[in-house]
Amino acid sequence: MKGPVYLNENTGIVVIGATGREASQVIKESEALYPGIIKAGVTPGRGGSSELAVPVFDTLFQAKKDPAVGSKINTALIYVPPASVLDAVMECLDAEIKVIYIITEHVPIRDSEIIYQEKVRRNAIIVGGTSLGCFVPSVGRIGAIGGKDPTVAFRQGGLLIISKSGGLTVTTAEMFKRRGWGTYCALAIGGDIISNTTYADVLLQVKDDPNVKGVVMLGEPGGSYEEQAAELITSGVFKKPVAAFISGRFQERMPEGVAFGHAGAIVERGMGKATDKIERLDAAGKKYPVKVAFYYHELVSAIESLGVPRDFEDSTAAHVAPLYSTIR
Amino acid sequence: MKLYEHEALESIYKKFQIPSPKFVFATEPNEKVREFIEKQPAVVIKSMVLVGKRGKAGAVKVVTDKTKAVDVFKDLATREVYGEKSVGAIVCEKLDIQKEYYLSVTYSTKDRAPAITFSEHGGMEVEEIDHKLIHTYIVGDVRAIYPYQIRKFLVGIGFSDPEMLRPLSEIIVNVFKAFWETECRLLEINPLVVAKVGDKKKLVAADAVVLLDDDAAIPPSIRFSARGDMGRPLSQREQDAILIDQGDHRGKAGSYVELDGDVALMTFGGGGSTVTAETAIEAGLRVANLTDIGGNPPAEKMYKIARIILSKPGLKAVLVCGGTASNTRIDVTLGEGLAKALDDMNAEGVLNKDLIWVVRRSGPEYVKGLKMLHECFVRNGIKGDIYDSQLPITEAPLRLKELLIKHVNYQPEQIV
Repeated sequence: MKGPVYLNENTGIVVIGATGREASQVIKESEALYPGIIKAGVTPGRGGSSELAVPVFDTLFQAKKDPAVGSKINTALIYVPPASVLDAVMECLDAEIKVIYIITEHVPIRDSEIIYQEKVRRNAIIVGGTSLGCFVPSVGRIGAIGGKDPTVAFRQGGLLIISKSGGLTVTTAEMFKRRGWGTYCALAIGGDIISNTTYADVLLQVKDDPNVKGVVMLGEPGGSYEEQAAELITSGVFKKPVAAFISGRFQERMPEGVAFGHAGAIVERGMGKATDKIERLDAAGKKYPVKVAFYYHELVSAIESLGVPRDFEDSTAAHVAPLYSTIR
Repeated sequence: MKLYEHEALESIYKKFQIPSPKFVFATEPNEKVREFIEKQPAVVIKSMVLVGKRGKAGAVKVVTDKTKAVDVFKDLATREVYGEKSVGAIVCEKLDIQKEYYLSVTYSTKDRAPAITFSEHGGMEVEEIDHKLIHTYIVGDVRAIYPYQIRKFLVGIGFSDPEMLRPLSEIIVNVFKAFWETECRLLEINPLVVAKVGDKKKLVAADAVVLLDDDAAIPPSIRFSARGDMGRPLSQREQDAILIDQGDHRGKAGSYVELDGDVALMTFGGGGSTVTAETAIEAGLRVANLTDIGGNPPAEKMYKIARIILSKPGLKAVLVCGGTASNTRIDVTLGEGLAKALDDMNAEGVLNKDLIWVVRRSGPEYVKGLKMLHECFVRNGIKGDIYDSQLPITEAPLRLKELLIKHVNYQPEQIV
């Protein structure tokens, strides 16, 4: 099978909330780039609409029963408003969809908790909330990740990029591409407090995947998901090279409780500090192939020093001049 | 969002039958406060502030001499606690405390479930309690929770008071229900006391720390008044920013935290914003605000937040910075929203043309969007450099620093 469990050659996507502003644009773009990867859309009350490049159904059950596309649907992409996410996930789980992406931001924590517990009971994979999706250059993409022209950031290679931040996932892929490393899989896991897929979940999933030559992990303050990844490495389960960057050290100079960035990026009662996460990963790096970058752009030298081979040539300009200037 | 203790007592404890001391909240020692003091043999008076560790700051006082209670109330209702001004004070009955427990409910990311934390050794800061004396019950199935489960847990940790076993288990379930149904991210009672009432023992929640989920079904800023997390009231700009996203889930532009500096940040994406702010601060730039715009907001949202960010007095520079967006349209946000804000401000005569700008952005329609912004810079006489993603994101703040030093002799902060 080409591609990891999150997105592979067998992936067939249904978009929930398909006719919304965001979702319809994503469907349009995805169809232009990877025709056929999206099989159907669901929006209650809009069944039979021909406004999208894919058939639209009122309910997921109708989509699943459709003789043309039903049997090919195995992955859901959720784009509904926050208050409807729980309902949408339950509809997907009841339709026995085993891979679900929640793109919606601001899902109530309580709903995320209900979703997580239900996911465990049903043995499904859910990525998000606040995911931007997944990109596997050899297969295609799920969600808006990479935008209209993903070739700017993505080229096939051996890196697995895992990030809470969707934007940084792409920014990182692009930074590495300019320096000669391509992406095997980029997964934006989202920055919610209750995350359905964590760094450790992903590392466990790909630990024996020969396509993964190195991992780039982008973390944030709050919670303990980065620490869990460090634990997985120190317990000897995950052995591949990992370069990590944890943002948000500056927040420690601000009053406790200041929320900035993702919902989960909040330090509570001294827990979840960026410096603690860095310390844990640094400690793992004493014995295992782990390197923590002090500055974000030093991720590149970290991957290089861990011996992850370049996939193609370095194409960086020595000094980048502005595109436009009104000051010189 | 954090609640004041009196809000938690009034709106949560009563509803979920969490026993609390009798109390009165007021902004000044009014008739009700005086009557209350009159009826009690002794009282406890507390400043109503959001900041923690009030006791250590002298903002919680036990008053046994009734003649002094009104003056103490007056003081605590108006005093500043760690720089935060009290919104009032509560006066409550003084309990005959036999024992102090610690109880809280929050989300554990380790277990990805609500965690009930209990210790028989409460009363002090939770960080100061010996870890071996703190016990956690994970609510692995949120569909139902019963007191018997809690009793099983309490017996398992060697809880020492059989008499309190049933009432404590029932209160813990009520506290969990309050946490769950009001959509908290933290509900902490420290101390939960065993008080002597006549010849009986009774459990009473003698404090309330409640953090509500900002993304709750009903936004807490609507249920209660909007407030900051900075231990100070929200600035006008911060209040205006909150309104941008209310009732409109198309993208997010309403995050604005006002700081003391002179470099305004217009930053995009959770990760991109954090990384940019971090580098700017590490580089010694004095940051005027934090913000996090994302999720492809429409032009009018971008227009509003841009005007709020630029309205802060004393600015020297603006850093517009984000990674390579996947779905946020650069033509819509920068080419339309930001450019229109600048056009309008110039037309109104409120645009500061001495500001130095550095823009670093990429994503959908960035070629068009950056060109539109450049044209806006030219027609409004705005000075700055515009980059796309060829410049690594964390270099943008450094380029701004160079320009500031060169053109306005900026003195960067020395970061140790």
